[in-house]
Amino acid sequence: MARSLKKPPFVHYKLIKRVDEAQDSGSKNVIKTWSRASTITPEFVGLTIAVYNGKKFIPVYVTENMVGHKLGEFAPTRTFRGHGGKKDKGKR
Amino acid sequence: MKKEDCFELGIITKAHSFKGEVVLFLDTDVPENYYELDHIFIEINKQLIPYFIEASKVQKAKNIRLKLDGITTEQQALMLAKKKVYLPIEMLPTLNDDQFYFHEIIGFSVSNQNNEKVATIIEVIDNNSGNRLLSVLVNKTEALLPFNDNHILKVDKPNKNIQLDIPEGLLELYK
Repeated sequence: MARSLKKPPFVHYKLIKRVDEAQDSGSKNVIKTWSRASTITPEFVGLTIAVYNGKKFIPVYVTENMVGHKLGEFAPTRTFRGHGGKKDKGKR
Repeated sequence: MKKEDCFELGIITKAHSFKGEVVLFLDTDVPENYYELDHIFIEINKQLIPYFIEASKVQKAKNIRLKLDGITTEQQALMLAKKKVYLPIEMLPTLNDDQFYFHEIIGFSVSNQNNEKVATIIEVIDNNSGNRLLSVLVNKTEALLPFNDNHILKVDKPNKNIQLDIPEGLLELYK
């Protein structure tokens, strides 16, 4: 069931406090969080959040496309990393 | 043809139609370069088997429908489903000095904003979630760094070094 529209998106109170502090001070320090269920809001854009995946912290550089998603979506909990090897993929 | 002399173009996702066509997913940044191919190599039992292409049609941006020479029935096409497709490495477009393929930078050193070497690249983790990561070795410990265009400051291919804008406090997380 979808979340009620009368409620704002869920963001852990400690996380939003640290994000606001980082935005106010212009700091680019990594913000550590265990709150995978927190929704990415526009205030997060440009920050790097280290999201815990149950074993280690995965750095997530927040871009505009990520707004509205949960932090946990970008820190996979399983070990599969995709298929390696030589591919026509890279920086253009 | 040896696998080491080839690059992975994509995978045959499924058979299409009863005429023996297959759908090829192009796992590449620029799929347009591969819309009109003459031949492909399909990995069957760890060997690369060449197949000539009779006709091709673009389905979606990264999906093309192929009619392969010698594949005339749906059963034959189904045998090729889920097989990887390769092309000779000479067919990879050459890049400028500041551009690179992900497989090229494995083993490169990583330096920080102050040009101090801090890590060595193990692999690029690109799981299509929009959060591309660089797996690096720092003091014999694996660490992950965000790897977007915003973070890349300089690429020095001759000296095998990449200068990154590493967020403050990130490497300390892995100590």
